[in-house]
Amino acid sequence: MEIDLSKYKGVPDLALPKQRSLWQDAWHRLISSNTARLGMFIVGVFVLSAVLAHFFWEYNPGTDLDYTLKLKAPNLVATEEIPSIHLFGTDKLGRDIFRRTVHGGWNSLRVGIVAVGISLIIGALLGLFAGFYENVLITPVERILLMGLVGFALGAFPAWIARQPLQMFLFGGLGAFSAFYVNLLDRRRLRILIFAGIGLLMGAIPSLLVGPLVAAVCGILGLAIGAFLALPLGGQLFSNIVMRFMDILLTFPGYLLAIAIVAFLGPGLEKGMIAIGIVGIPVYARLARSAVLSVIPKEYNIASQALGASHGRIMFRHIVPNILSPIIVQTTMGLASAILSAAALGFLGLGAIPPEPEWGAMLGDSYRYLTSGAWWAVLFPGLAIMLSVLGFNLLGDGLRDALDPKLRA
Amino acid sequence: MIRYIVRRVLSVIPTLLGLAFIIFMFQRLIPGDPAVAMLGEHATEENVARIRTQFGLDRPAFLDRDALAQGDFSGFFDSQFVRYLGRLVRLDLGDSIHRRIPVAETLAVRFPATFELAFLSLLIALIVGVPVGIVSASRRNSLLDGVAMIGSLIGVSMPIFWLGLLEMMLFAVFLQWLPSGGRLSSDIQLQAITNFVLIDSLLTSNMPAFVDAVKHILMPAFALATIPMAIIARMTRSSMLDVLQEDYIRTAKAKGLSERKVLVKHALRNALLPVITIIGIQAGTLLSGAVLTETIFSWPGIGKWVFDSILARDYPIVQGATLLIAVIFLVANLLVDLSYALLDPRIRYD
Repeated sequence: MEIDLSKYKGVPDLALPKQRSLWQDAWHRLISSNTARLGMFIVGVFVLSAVLAHFFWEYNPGTDLDYTLKLKAPNLVATEEIPSIHLFGTDKLGRDIFRRTVHGGWNSLRVGIVAVGISLIIGALLGLFAGFYENVLITPVERILLMGLVGFALGAFPAWIARQPLQMFLFGGLGAFSAFYVNLLDRRRLRILIFAGIGLLMGAIPSLLVGPLVAAVCGILGLAIGAFLALPLGGQLFSNIVMRFMDILLTFPGYLLAIAIVAFLGPGLEKGMIAIGIVGIPVYARLARSAVLSVIPKEYNIASQALGASHGRIMFRHIVPNILSPIIVQTTMGLASAILSAAALGFLGLGAIPPEPEWGAMLGDSYRYLTSGAWWAVLFPGLAIMLSVLGFNLLGDGLRDALDPKLRA
Repeated sequence: MIRYIVRRVLSVIPTLLGLAFIIFMFQRLIPGDPAVAMLGEHATEENVARIRTQFGLDRPAFLDRDALAQGDFSGFFDSQFVRYLGRLVRLDLGDSIHRRIPVAETLAVRFPATFELAFLSLLIALIVGVPVGIVSASRRNSLLDGVAMIGSLIGVSMPIFWLGLLEMMLFAVFLQWLPSGGRLSSDIQLQAITNFVLIDSLLTSNMPAFVDAVKHILMPAFALATIPMAIIARMTRSSMLDVLQEDYIRTAKAKGLSERKVLVKHALRNALLPVITIIGIQAGTLLSGAVLTETIFSWPGIGKWVFDSILARDYPIVQGATLLIAVIFLVANLLVDLSYALLDPRIRYD
C-alpha cells in the first residue's frame, strides 16, 4: 500500500534527518558563525577589488606623477585648487592614494598566495612523508631507494675531496646493497665491521691515484659511511633529517630570516615572496607531521595497510583528506602573516621596487611626512594591511571552529 | 632530570653550527666580490688582491681539497668557513665595512637598548595579556569576552610599524605629550653604567633622566608589545578554558572555595604552563619586531642598526646582528624548555 505523502506536508520528518557530508557540515557551521562571515566579507572585498582593479582599472605607476597635487588631504568634492577627487588624499608625488591602495592589494595578495604556496607545498609534503615513514614500515623497494640515495649523498663527500665521481656511485651501491640484504650477516657487530671495511676500501683505493693523504682521509670517511650504511635504518632516519633541518630554520625568529635573505639577495617583490615562503616551510612541516602522527593509528589506515594498499595510496587517499582541516586553517592564517611580512619588507624598502604600489612600501614612502601633518598618507595604506590581515585571521578562526572535530557532537 | 638538562643544552650545538652555516652562506649570496665592495669600484687590482688575502677571501669556501692532494693536512681545513667559525668562537664578528669598527663592540653597546625595549614590552604584554585571558575565560561568551577576543584578534593582525606611526601621530604630533623618537633627550646628562637607561638613571638617582627615559620608551614599548599581548591573552584564555573543565576544578568548587581562589590557585597555576612556552616564542617576535619599531622611533638599538646597515650594504653588521638575535632566541627557548621541566612535576624526561 502506498502512503500518501502529501497529507503530511509541513510535518518535519524526524526519522530521516537531512544527510550532510562532513564538508557540508563544516560549511554550514562556518557560515553560521558571525566572525567567519565577517572574515569572508573582508577577504571577499579585498580579493574582488584587487582582481577587478588589476584587470579593469588601468594604472601605470611609472607615469603617475603630479607635483601640483603633492600631499593634499582627502577631499570629496572637486574644487578649483584640486580639480580631481581624492578619497584618501595624495602622496608626496601627488599620486592618488585610493588608487594606489586598491592596486597595492593585487601585489599584497600575490605575495601572500605565492609565499604560502611555496611553504605549503614543500612544508606539507615534507611533514607528510616524515610523519608517515616514521611510523609505517618502509617497503623493501623504498628502503633500497632511501639507502641508495643516502649512500650516494654521503659518498659525494669523499668523491668531492678526491675529485672522483665514481665514489658516489660506489657508496650509493653499497647503501642499496645493504638495504637489499637487510638480514645478511645476522650478528650486528660483524655486519657493521664488514660494511665499514668495504667502505674503507671503496674510499681509499680509488683515492690512492690522487695521493696518499687523500686516500687516508677518504678511507676514514668511507669507514664511517660504510658503518653507517650497515645500520638497519628506515623511515626514522628520513624523518630525523627533515625535522632537524626544520628546527634549524625555526631558530630564526619571525621574519628576521626573510629580512636577512632579502637584505642579501637585494630588494624585489619576487625575492620577498621566496624569502617569506622559505621562512614558512617549517611551520607546515611540523603541523603536517603532527597531524599525520595523530591519524596513523586510526583503524582505516591499518585496514588499508592490511588490504595491501600502496604507500602512495594510503598517504594521498586516506591520510591527506584527514589532515586537511588543520592545514586549511594554517594556510588561511599563513596568508595573513605572509601579507604582514610582505608589508614589513616593503616598509623597510626591501619589498616592491618603487614606484610599484604596495601597502608596506607606501607607508615607508610617506611616514616621514607625518610630522608635517600628512596623516592620510599613513592611515589608509596601513588600514588596508590591518583589515586584510584581520579578514584572513577571522576567517581562519572561523574555519578552525568549523573544522574542529572536538566541537562535533 | 640532570641528564635531560645536559642533553637539551648539548642539542643546541648542532643548531648553532647550522645557524653559523646559514649566516655564512648569506655572505656568499651577495652578488659581486666582497673585496671590491669593501674598497669601492675604483680599487686597484693589487689592493683587491691584498684585501682578499687579508680576509681569507682567496681560500676555498669549506675545505681545501687541493691542499690535501699535495699532502698538506692542516691546509685542508684552512677554509673561509672554518676561519669564520674560529672567529665566532673568539666573539669576533668582523669589522663594519664603512666604519671599520668591530661589529661585536657596537653590538655590545647597542644591545642594552634593544633588550630594555624588548623586556619592557614583554612585561607590558604579560601584565595586560594574562589578566585579560583569565577574565575572558572565566566569563566565557560574555560581552567582555567578545570585546577582549576581537581586540586581541585585531592586535594579532596589527602591522606594528603602522601602529607605531599611529601612536606617533596621536601622542607626538597632535597631542605633543611624548617625544617622537630617540632614547633620551639631548639636553639630559646621564652617566652610563650598565647602558640600560632606566637602570642607570635610577642608580645615579637622576630623576629628570628617569622621567625622560620613561617618556621615550612608552610608545615603542607599547607598539612592540601589541602582538605578544594579543597572543598571550588568546593563549591564556584557551588554556584556562581547558583547565577549567578538569575534575579538580569541579572538586575545588564543590568544596565551596571562592571563585577567585579556584581561578588563581587551582586553575591559573596549571594554565600558565603553555603560556610560558609562548613567552619563549614571543622573544623572537619581539627581537625581530624590534627592527621595525626601532626604525620608526629612531631607537638606537640593534634593530635600527640592522636597518641602516641593510641600506648601507654593510653586510658584516647584518650578519653579526642576525646571528646575535638568533642565538638569543635559541637561548630563550632553551630556558623555556628547562623551566618547563622544573615547573611541571608531571613531566618526566628520562
